[in-house]
Parts: sequence; structure tokens; C-alpha cells
Amino acid sequence: MNIHTYEKVWLAASMVLIVGFIATITYGAVGPGVSMISDDGGSIDPSEINDDERFEETGVTHVGGNEYEVAVLAQAWSYSPDEIEVPAGSEVTFYVTSPDVTHSFSVVGTNVNTMVVPGQVSEMTVEFDEPGEYGILCNEYCGEYHHTMEGTLSVVPEDEFDLTELSVEAPGEVESGNETTINATVSDGMQTDLETTATLEIGGEQYDEDVTIDGAGSESVEFAVDADQLGEGDHDWTVTVDGEEESGTLSVVDGANDDSGDSDGGDDDA
Amino acid sequence: MRNAYVDQFPAEARVVKSAFWSSFLALAIGGIFGLVQALHRTDVLRFIDSTDYYTVLTAHGVLLAITFTIFFLVGIFTWAVTTSLDRGVVDIRFTWSWYVMMVTGTVLVAVAIFSGFLEEPPSILGSELYADVLFTFYSPLQAHPIFYIGLVLFVVGTWLAGFDWFRTWWAWRDENADERIPLPTFMVLTTTLFWYICTLGVALSILAFLLPWSLGIVDSVNPLLTRTLFWYFGHAVVYFWLMPTYVMWYIMLPKLSGGKLFSDPLARVVFVLFLLLSTPLGIHHQYLDPGIAEGYKFIAMTNTMFLLLPSLLTAFTVVASMEHGARQRGGEGYLGWLTALPWRDPVFTGMALAGLMFAAAGFSGMINAGMNINYLVHNTWWVVGHFHLTVGTAVALTFMAAAYWFIPQVTGKELWSRSVALGQVLLWFVGMTFMSNAMHRSGLFGMPRRTAEPQYQNFDFEPAVGTVAEMDAQVALGAVLLVVSLVLFLLNMVLTSFNGTSDSIPDNTYAGTLSGPEDAPEILDNLKLWTAIAVVLVIFAYTLPLASIVESGGLFGPGIDGRQLSLGADLEPALETLREVVA
Ligand code: HEM
Ligand SMILES: [Cu+2]
Ligand SMILES: [Cu+2]
Repeated sequence: MNIHTYEKVWLAASMVLIVGFIATITYGAVGPGVSMISDDGGSIDPSEINDDERFEETGVTHVGGNEYEVAVLAQAWSYSPDEIEVPAGSEVTFYVTSPDVTHSFSVVGTNVNTMVVPGQVSEMTVEFDEPGEYGILCNEYCGEYHHTMEGTLSVVPEDEFDLTELSVEAPGEVESGNETTINATVSDGMQTDLETTATLEIGGEQYDEDVTIDGAGSESVEFAVDADQLGEGDHDWTVTVDGEEESGTLSVVDGANDDSGDSDGGDDDA
Repeated sequence: MRNAYVDQFPAEARVVKSAFWSSFLALAIGGIFGLVQALHRTDVLRFIDSTDYYTVLTAHGVLLAITFTIFFLVGIFTWAVTTSLDRGVVDIRFTWSWYVMMVTGTVLVAVAIFSGFLEEPPSILGSELYADVLFTFYSPLQAHPIFYIGLVLFVVGTWLAGFDWFRTWWAWRDENADERIPLPTFMVLTTTLFWYICTLGVALSILAFLLPWSLGIVDSVNPLLTRTLFWYFGHAVVYFWLMPTYVMWYIMLPKLSGGKLFSDPLARVVFVLFLLLSTPLGIHHQYLDPGIAEGYKFIAMTNTMFLLLPSLLTAFTVVASMEHGARQRGGEGYLGWLTALPWRDPVFTGMALAGLMFAAAGFSGMINAGMNINYLVHNTWWVVGHFHLTVGTAVALTFMAAAYWFIPQVTGKELWSRSVALGQVLLWFVGMTFMSNAMHRSGLFGMPRRTAEPQYQNFDFEPAVGTVAEMDAQVALGAVLLVVSLVLFLLNMVLTSFNGTSDSIPDNTYAGTLSGPEDAPEILDNLKLWTAIAVVLVIFAYTLPLASIVESGGLFGPGIDGRQLSLGADLEPALETLREVVA
């Protein structure tokens, strides 16, 4: 075949270019380790997503050290959870799946971008070095309100991050002359021990209780409340721990004619 | 005596003309919808409900990417085969039958799509018409069966068209036993072969899975499987659009420049490479899909990079041929020859500008193909910017420019206005520069594609350079210019068809070659060999990924129902509560 010299030069240059591209991309994969979404997440039955231990509860869990896992359900037309918070300096593995149609899970302006195909679990591991705020959006058409599907990802400074949860049990009313307790259960989602302080505010007073919770454990904190000290009437209370907060109202009623019964202080915890 | 195509092949000219007009009609509707989308997304002007946006977008995608391109293609290919073999088709009734089949398929698909604008779409075959599934129709989004049936008819129509071209060539071969396949026919045949290979994927996806599922015969699909089968076809289809464009660049552009094609052998090599490599790389559209191992993505990436080769060779041949033409016309100097090109000819200028934009598209395409960089741009507006340079300009503008030459050929009527035509192609180029450039830039900061209102409640986009408003304005401006250009094109076509026939239509010819087929090894014409290798490559690239998808998700998936996720326009409040409950 008769090939012109210029053609030969061009052909050679083209091959160099092509091989160069492939080499660059290969380097990107093995050097800095930009790995692709793959089949690591495995498959899943979209009608039984809850049976998969990764998706029993969606949201952030601590694996240990600086490692976290985030399970996300992408569905028409929202993410669960739609607000994700992780600490800076962490290595986060996302598991995302869909119970209905194909979506995407795309953290705007980053490499965190995956298709979410029903029947499959998208798994990707990302390192978040610096604090920052990101939007999350769905960039695959998923029905009429596709454009409303969004969320946020906050990477917070390490010392502001916790996975502490609080639940409070408190009576709605107490008779004057009696004592009662407000019980706070504080659980620690981190694998590490937590030392913190639970605070109750009621009747203008503040009570602090220090607690130490084992990693992945929980502790109860009891606050004794003296009705007489509060005096008759409705008293708003708030329990806080690590930025978590729960509040309610305690009514102190006259112990003498308690048969009236219906005070308006029966607010349960929120 | 006049010797235009219509004089040589009056019967074929009628089919070609019909195919062109079908194509123009799709372009007209699809193009106007493009403007609606651009204005809606950028919030410059919103006169449809955002929920109807996706009906518009489905129509835009299908009408332009499938209908406009492929109708034009069958016209050009029929012209190329008959002209270069210098004989008519074997049986013109057969030719009409595939054309009618393609039209029927298109009409069914269009009925399904356009029903999306009705408050209460009618029911047919036991279910409401519905096809807001975009041109990729990813399951479990489910369209009405007639959408799938229409697609099948359309594709089978193209298969028959391919058979028609082969048959014509066989008839010619019987009479010209020892001759090389003429270049234009060679291009048509190799393209048709890879079209057969790649459309098997969608045909399988529709006939074995989606259609039975939409009819309720099977009750589940494997979304990843149908998606993978779609992209098995979906990449090759972009080369299917591109091949008639390449045919024009190889056999018309050199002639228009006043010279000859630089090399026939190299042109054959290029088309053989497309036959070999167009299909086994569709997985590059699935770089971000779960359920496909990284190794398969890597193979697709490597093949993709090698597929750059035929396009790089084309760039060389086309530019070299233009330079040759320019020097024949007296052009001189290192770059000075450029001024000797016939820039006042809308056919030439349109095609040359289309080629220039294709070069730009090559750069953004390399970014898309780089699988790890793809994370940043996948499904953003970058991609939309990219393919408005490729199919939206390299292909569409070449076709429009070609129409200025073809319509006189197939009608015997002179073009209504060459200067309007020249303005039209320039305007398209300018409009697309604005629109596509701004789309590319928007993609870099994460602006998603396929989204009616890319304005979010809880965060803002943060472009590194410029502002969202400025880019939106450029998209809207570009879209307006494009539609003005489109209207000028259609006006020229319509007014041309009102002209009387003219005696001054140029002869129906195409470019000769500097280095002819005698320089091309015989083996290049061995279509059986190349097809066999192409099939083997496809088997290599796809057997394992498909097997693992079927193994992990089942042939029909784990009980995945069809979904038509629409609530109707008045349900915004209901949706708000739904979202609160879920959150
Ligand atoms: C009149 C000129 C055109 C305008 C103003 C226009 C505008 C647009 C816009 C704004 C989008 C993005 C929609 C979104 O991502 O939400 C789009 C998508 C698209 N356009 Fe165009 N376009 C034009 C011409 C073309 C042509 C000539 C073709 C092909 C031959 C084409 C093919 C496509 C395709 C395939 C999509 C993607 C559809 C999808 O995502 O499903 N467009 N167009
Ligand atoms: Cu979506
Ligand atoms: Cu592709």
C-alpha cells in the first residue's frame, strides 16, 4: 500500500498520542488511585433493601479510627438522609441504592458521582481532608420531579463532629410536694469512648451531669426534679448533650386536689 | 444536457428526497424544542410546566438524535451507492417499503411521546400512552408498548435499507467481477455492517425484555442489563450518525475545494477501523455504573482511545485534500492557501465549519473518555456541550450544508438563495459556539444535564470562573441564534421546492482521488474478514460483563416493576408533604 510520508508521520504521532492517553489514565488509576465505581457493592433486591445490613438504617455510622460508612437511599424524589455530616480528615465509604428507578448520587463539584441503578449497590470510598459544604443532586432523569431531588453534605471540623444521640423520658406532670426524674439516654455512635456533659435546664436553673459512654454504647442520666422548688404551673425544660437537644413541659399541680387530673402540662418529649 | 441525480435516477431521487424531508421535519420540531429547553432551564422564559419539560426533552432527543440523523443518512447512503455503482437499486418497491416502515415506526414513537402533553392521554392496548423516558429509555422507567414497537419498526426499516444497499452492490458485482468496490459504496457497506452488529443490542433489549415487560408478559426487568444493552448500541449509533458526515467530508469536501481526495486507501482503512471498533466500547458510557467491574471499564477505555485513530486520520486526509484543492485553485503559502478556498460556497463553508467544530469536540471527547476524569463531568452539561458539537454541529451542520447541494440534485430545482444559505451556516456556527462553550463550562462546576430547573434550594453552584447567570445568558443567546439559523434553513428548503426546475444544476459527481483504489491492498475489501474480526472483538468485550450482570441481577431482575413516575401538574403540594414525610 502506498502511504505518503506525511501520512506516516501523522499516523505515528497519532499512535503516540493514543498510547500516551492510555498511559496517563492508567497512571491515574494506579498512581493517585482514582478507582472507578465497580461491582464491589454487589446486587440487592430493590423490594427488600432493609434486609441488607448496610441499609437497615440509612445515615452515617462510624467503623473505627477515621473510617465511616454512609448508607443512602436514592428514591423518587429525595435522598434518605438528605443531610449528611462527616468529619474532616475522614475516610468515608458510601453505599447507595435505589428502590425505584435509576438516579445518581452526585456531590457537586467533586469526584463523588455515581449512578444509582435499582438492583445494584454503588460503593465508593472518599477521603475528606478539609471542612466544607457541598450540594448533592441527582443528575439522572428519574421522573417528573427529578429536578427537585437534592441534599447536602457537610464536612465539619473533626472536633465538632459526633454521632451522639439523645432521647429523653420525662413525666408530663408532677404533684407539688413530690420529686420526679427526667431520664436522658445518651448513646454514642462512635466506636470510641465519649466523655461529655448532659445538661438540663428547667425553671431558670441549669443542672450538669458528666457522663462517660463506651464506644457504640449508651448511658442513662437521671436528673432529679423537686416540684416544690419549681412551684405550681408549667415549666419548660430542655436537655442538651453535644448539640443534641430535646425539650418538653412539666406541670406541677396542686397535690391536694389531684383528682382534677387534667392539667395542660402533659406534653411528652418532642 | 443536465446530468443531475434526478436525471440519472429519477425513481431513487424520489425516495432520497422523501427521506430528506422526513429528516427536515424532525429537525424543525426538535430544534424548536431545543430552544424551549434552553430558555426553560436557564429560567429566561418558562411557558411550560417543569413536569412537561421531560416530554419536550424526550422528543428533542429522539427526533434529533434518531429521526433527523438517520433519515438523512439513508438518503445520503442510497445516493452514494447508486451514484458510485452507477446503477439503480434492484427493486424500487423494496426501497419504498423500508422508507415507509421507518416512517411508520417514527409516527408510533411520536404518538407515544407527544401524548405526554395531554392532560389525559388515551389508552391503547390496555394502558395509557406514555413515553416520558428520554431517548435512552432506561428501565425501570417504562414507556407504552407502542413506543418500543415504533422503535423496533424504525430499526428494522434501517436493516432493510442496509439490505437494499448490499443487494444493489451484489447485483453490480455480478456485472463487474474484478473491480474494486467504489469508495462511497465501500463506506456505506462497512457502516451498514457495524450498524447490524450494534443494533442487535437494542433489538435484544427491546424484544426480549422491554416490550414483553411493558405488555405485562413478564413482570420484571434487570435495569443494568437493559442499560448495558442500550449502550452496546448507544456508542456505535454515534458513529452511525457520523459516517454519512465522514462520507461527505471524504467525497464531497475535496471536490468542493477544487481538488481530489488525498488517499483512497487511507479512507478505506478508516472505515474498516470504524467497523472493528465502534461497538466493543459502549461501556465507556457506564464508567459510573455500579455492577460492572473496573477491568471491563478499562478495556472499554482502551478501545475508545484507539478509536481516536480513524478520526485523527480523517482530520489529516480532509485537511490535506482541502489544501490540495486550494493549491489547484492557485492558493499559495504555508497557510495562505486557506484564503483560496471557496468560502462563499455555503456547502463548502458549512462542512468546513462543521469539521472545525468536530476538532474542538475531539478535545472535550478525550476528557469524557478518560475514565477517571469522567467522574467530574459525567451527566453534567459538559456532556451536552460536547455532543452539540459532534452530532449537533459536525453532523447536523454538515447535513444542512449538504442539503444545499442535494436538494437541487434530487429535485432539479435551483437553491432559492445561496447567500441566505451562507449566512445560515455561519449563524449556526456562532450560535453553537455560544451555547456549547457555556454548556461545557457549566458542566465543570457540576451543572446537571436533563434537569428542568437546575436551581436548587439548599446550595448554589460555585463556578471557578464567571457566573452561572452569565453562562445561562450565553446558552439562551446561542439557542436563539441556532433557531434563527434553523428557520433560515427550512425557509430556504421550502422556497426552493417552490422554484421551477432549472437547467443549471451541476452534474452529479463526487471527488476523484490522488491515490486511488489500486494503491489499496485487496484485503481491505474483504468485508467478511473484517466483520468476523469485529464480531470477535465484541464477544471479547461483552461476554464477561454481560455474564456477570446476568449472574448477579438475574436475566429478568429481582422483581422490578415498571414505573411511570408522574403525578400530574397539580400535585406539587402533595409532593411537598411526601418529601417531608420521607426526610
Ligand atoms: C436548535 C438547536 C438546538 C438547541 C437550542 C438545543 C438545545 C438543547 C438543550 C438546552 C439540551 C439540554 C437539555 C438538558 O440537559 O436538560 C439539549 C439536549 C440534547 N440535544 Fe439539543 N439542541 C439543538 C440542536 C440539537 C441537534 C441538531 C441535535 C442532534 C442532531 C441535538 C441533540 C440533543 C440530544 C441528543 C440531547 C440530549 C437529550 C437527553 O439528554 O435525553 N440537539 N439540546
Ligand atoms: Cu433524578
Ligand atoms: Cu460513546
